[in-house]
Amino acid sequence: MSAAAGGALGSARRAARPFIGLVLVLILGVISSPRGAGGSIVFLSAGNLTDILLQQGEIGIIALAMTLVVIAGGIDLSVGSVLAFSASLAGLLLVRWAPHIPAGAQIAATVAAVLALGAAIGAVNGAIITRLRLQPFVMTLAAMIGVRGLTKWMTGNTNIDFGFDAAASARFSDIFSHKPLILSAWAVLAVAAHLVLARTTYGRYLRAIGENEKAAFFTGLPIRMARTATYVACGAAAALAGLIHAARSHQGNPNDGVAYELDVIAAVVIGGTALSGGQGSILGTVTGTLVLGVLTNVLRLRMVDSNVELMAKALIIIVAVWLQRRDRNAPSA
Amino acid sequence: MIALSSPDILGSPPALACTQLAKHYGGVRALAGVDWELQPGEVHALCGENGAGKSTLARICAGITRPDSGEIRVDGIPASWSGSDEARRQGIGIILQELDLFAHLTVAENIALGNPALEESRWVSFEKLADAVAPHLRDAGIPVDPGTLLGELSISQWQLVAIAKVLSLDARVIFMDEPTSALTEDAVERLFTVIASLKARGVAIAYVSHKMSEIFRICDRISVMRDGEMVSTMRRQDTSIAEVIQQMVGRPVGAREATPPEDPKISVLGVWKLSTRKLRGVSFDLADGEILGVAGLVGSGRTELARALFGMTRVTSGRVTLADGDYRPRSVSDAMRRRLVLVPEDRRRDGLFMRMSVRENTSLAALRRYARMGWIDGAREAEEAREQLDETHTTYGDAGQPVDALSGGNQQKVLLSKWLLTRPKVCFLDDPTRGIDVGAKEDIYRLIAALAEEGVGIVWVSSELPELLANSHRIMVLHEGALRGILDSADATQEEVMRLATGGKGDGP
Amino acid sequence: MKRLPALPLFPALLAAVLVAGCKPQAASPEASAAGAQPQRLVVFSQCNNAEPYRAAQNAEMQRLWDKVPGVRLMVMDAQQDSAKQISQIETAIRLSPSLLIVAPNERAPLSEVMGDAQKAGIPVICLERDIAQPNYTTWIRADNEAIGRLVGEFVVAQLKARYGEPRGRIVELAGLKGVEAEINRSGGAHEVWKDYPGIEIVTEAVANWLQSTAKDRMTEILSAVPRIDVVYARNDPMAMGAYLAAREKGREKEMIFVGVDGLEGEAGGIEKVRQGILAATFVYPLCVDKAVEIGTRILDEPGFKPDKVYTMTSHIVTRETLGK
Repeated sequence: MSAAAGGALGSARRAARPFIGLVLVLILGVISSPRGAGGSIVFLSAGNLTDILLQQGEIGIIALAMTLVVIAGGIDLSVGSVLAFSASLAGLLLVRWAPHIPAGAQIAATVAAVLALGAAIGAVNGAIITRLRLQPFVMTLAAMIGVRGLTKWMTGNTNIDFGFDAAASARFSDIFSHKPLILSAWAVLAVAAHLVLARTTYGRYLRAIGENEKAAFFTGLPIRMARTATYVACGAAAALAGLIHAARSHQGNPNDGVAYELDVIAAVVIGGTALSGGQGSILGTVTGTLVLGVLTNVLRLRMVDSNVELMAKALIIIVAVWLQRRDRNAPSA
Repeated sequence: MIALSSPDILGSPPALACTQLAKHYGGVRALAGVDWELQPGEVHALCGENGAGKSTLARICAGITRPDSGEIRVDGIPASWSGSDEARRQGIGIILQELDLFAHLTVAENIALGNPALEESRWVSFEKLADAVAPHLRDAGIPVDPGTLLGELSISQWQLVAIAKVLSLDARVIFMDEPTSALTEDAVERLFTVIASLKARGVAIAYVSHKMSEIFRICDRISVMRDGEMVSTMRRQDTSIAEVIQQMVGRPVGAREATPPEDPKISVLGVWKLSTRKLRGVSFDLADGEILGVAGLVGSGRTELARALFGMTRVTSGRVTLADGDYRPRSVSDAMRRRLVLVPEDRRRDGLFMRMSVRENTSLAALRRYARMGWIDGAREAEEAREQLDETHTTYGDAGQPVDALSGGNQQKVLLSKWLLTRPKVCFLDDPTRGIDVGAKEDIYRLIAALAEEGVGIVWVSSELPELLANSHRIMVLHEGALRGILDSADATQEEVMRLATGGKGDGP
Repeated sequence: MKRLPALPLFPALLAAVLVAGCKPQAASPEASAAGAQPQRLVVFSQCNNAEPYRAAQNAEMQRLWDKVPGVRLMVMDAQQDSAKQISQIETAIRLSPSLLIVAPNERAPLSEVMGDAQKAGIPVICLERDIAQPNYTTWIRADNEAIGRLVGEFVVAQLKARYGEPRGRIVELAGLKGVEAEINRSGGAHEVWKDYPGIEIVTEAVANWLQSTAKDRMTEILSAVPRIDVVYARNDPMAMGAYLAAREKGREKEMIFVGVDGLEGEAGGIEKVRQGILAATFVYPLCVDKAVEIGTRILDEPGFKPDKVYTMTSHIVTRETLGK
């Protein structure tokens, strides 16, 4: 005797749901798109589609790591602040620091330092959450506030503009705002995250820990290390997104990245990962990220007020979570 | 001893009557046209093997699940309800096998949940609620402070709270699904007192259980189900244990007896004067291939012993040695590395990952064996998991389905398979047959015996004395954290074990 | 199964949102009366609707473009977020507008995307603030440096009147640091004051052009600084915020408040001068009338080549100048 509602069929249906959502928004985009010269569909133009991917690139990259954090039963609210911190640090190192080394070396040192510090912030989050047993929401909220303060302090609360000439900062901007680079970075990280989650022991442990922490303890799983690693990944992802953000806006701005964590979490949730942990998929997260990007684009092409965009986003989140809940309440034997 | 007499059956409509109830789960037929009735003031047993449909029948009658077809009548009036709340309001209550209690709430709040009469008190003040709840706690035989957090109580106490919860409902029909599975002897006696008083009040009780001795002590009628069908309904005095079992299973089943190990050479686990906050100088020795039972009442320290051996509680003094040397308990993973494994008592809470698949649950503890540099070899994992599950005679549809979908007995087999895959040298089993049916129990006994024959040392904690006596080589009896004696199972009797468990002196170490 | 009804719910709601959100933004009687003329799209990317100066710009934009036949105006609000403004402009480019007017949020971030618009063949008017590279067809600016100098001279005159000599303590409230207006309004004033050693700038706080932020910063400053003669806020809302903070502490008579913008209307700086709250404000031209003028010529005259920069002038507003 078995309950098919909880069986393999049910999980396939659950996995398909964000995909259906994406298809629906795409169809909506095509239907509502303005027409260009010669009747072409503006929405489907290569330029527009690339725009969508690029505009979601930062959120998308962070969302990959956030998926791991959430699956293991945690949450990270500090990613927006870490993004601002990373962008500002890049500004400081590329513009205010004047070492006598070639621009390429300066850029490499900057990237290394920024990624390392982002990961370090994640490590602090993870250590305090797992050892002092602070709730992830509380700890990363504190980190969100603290890192933001640190960022404003270290820049004197001003932006650091990058140059447009041959200086290191200008070269950095060119490299890291290079569209194919951003998109391939996102794609490579997505594939890597998927493989880790689906095919490695580490990924299996994450799911088990998020599903039932007590049972994971009784199975001797390395709970602390696994959880901390997810926060380190999140910090590093936010740092990478910060580098891309700095390059695209040509400045390090300590006031950027506000509320990015909400967009990231929204993407993860719409993609079918439950905030309670234990299940989720990278494919779902990528789909969720794209749903948000396509939706924003569809509304903008129709010249809808940008405040309405926020309300539409809220609607999608509610619907996505509501559909998840119906799934979870299916009876089991 | 409590004698229970039969009620006067003639002249009044049944408290609950089912006609042609049917239920399918996907392609599986859980109930096939079942007719059944329950008289007021009777205790009616529902027996059957794994998958026979007794839990499904109970759940449908209590409103938790909806039938595909068929009719239910309460006191002769057709009833249909859309949820267990409505059923409760009509006076039908159920104590589930998997208790629907919440660790983070207090005892009083747990009892009040879903009870319309108590819900109001709940919002007025806690004192009022505690007062309303206290008599039920007393009746159920668990005199704890209603303000205690449920998470601080033990499993057997949880079951008594669940009984108190049903008592508070003032129900006319109560379904009890394996109510004594986690109870110790004296708690079982208290439950029977409760049942007797309910019976005297005219409450109808449906008693789903596998424990023949209990059924034949307190039940008036016995209904046997098999493969979703109602096979027979008999009066207790018209039948026998053997006949009931035969009807359940389709074949006669006998009791087992453990064969002692051939030539125990080495001690795989040596415990010398182990003390923690709750244990007082426990010492014992376990040989390879030996099965050592651990008996004792609630609070005797059996679970504490497990916690001590696996690093979950601080050892204040004493020494532990394994076959390959000294052992300082630090953590579960440390113990695993020394090939000492623990199969925990509560499989849902501590043992299995309900939404993960059967295969994933089975392979999780030994996962590193199928991975190279972290990369899992899916084919090898699937194959070894399947082999292990076959060895334990686990029934499952598809190894990719969530383990949630399996019955209690099969879930326990998955849990055992998980630990067996790690090829342990010493196995600590905490109540491994709790809440599973006769057929599955037999499988597990056979499994444990086979394991012992391969040279694995087994420590087996259980509340069911007969099972320990029949299946272990020696029995260790604990009382309030101290060792009272170690007896040879072949010679020991239940009375002697109970004497030691209640504090009598023995001639052990 | 039971889940299916939910699926159509989702796009149905979305479609409803789309329909609701799509209010025609510039359907004016003149434009529709023009009838046969094809609608040309003019996109105005505003950096932050929430500032009164910019709200006035938007209103003026709407009013002036309504008078031009055959034009549809779309106003976008980036809510002070450069990244948002960049992506809004990117999407606008896809709509192939006939003209793009941008009030950039910050210099460096917006440079590249405005260059992209130019590369797509769209004429770009950079409004009031500038960007790091000259990626526009024309820049219509007001002379912030001249305003700064006017402020500097006014303050010197006031201090002379109070103390008999040009000395005093000045507190400054700045807008967003990277913006041209901020740089030049402060630079112009400092250029004047550097010749007077007795004039001391005690502190400068950043208030992001916003009244509430200015009130908070001023409250902190009042706790730390004992005697203040002049508060020079780079726009009127910040000056107003500083006044409110001083009034709460009972110190508003101790100092004079100087702002910039000089907008009309009840909430504008001119009214504040009339009420005696601000000692002076300096009219900061919206630049919109020039933008519409040049923009119309760009749309209608194919061969028209506008200047690279157009500068609008400003003047002071005080109680005296209003009394007439």
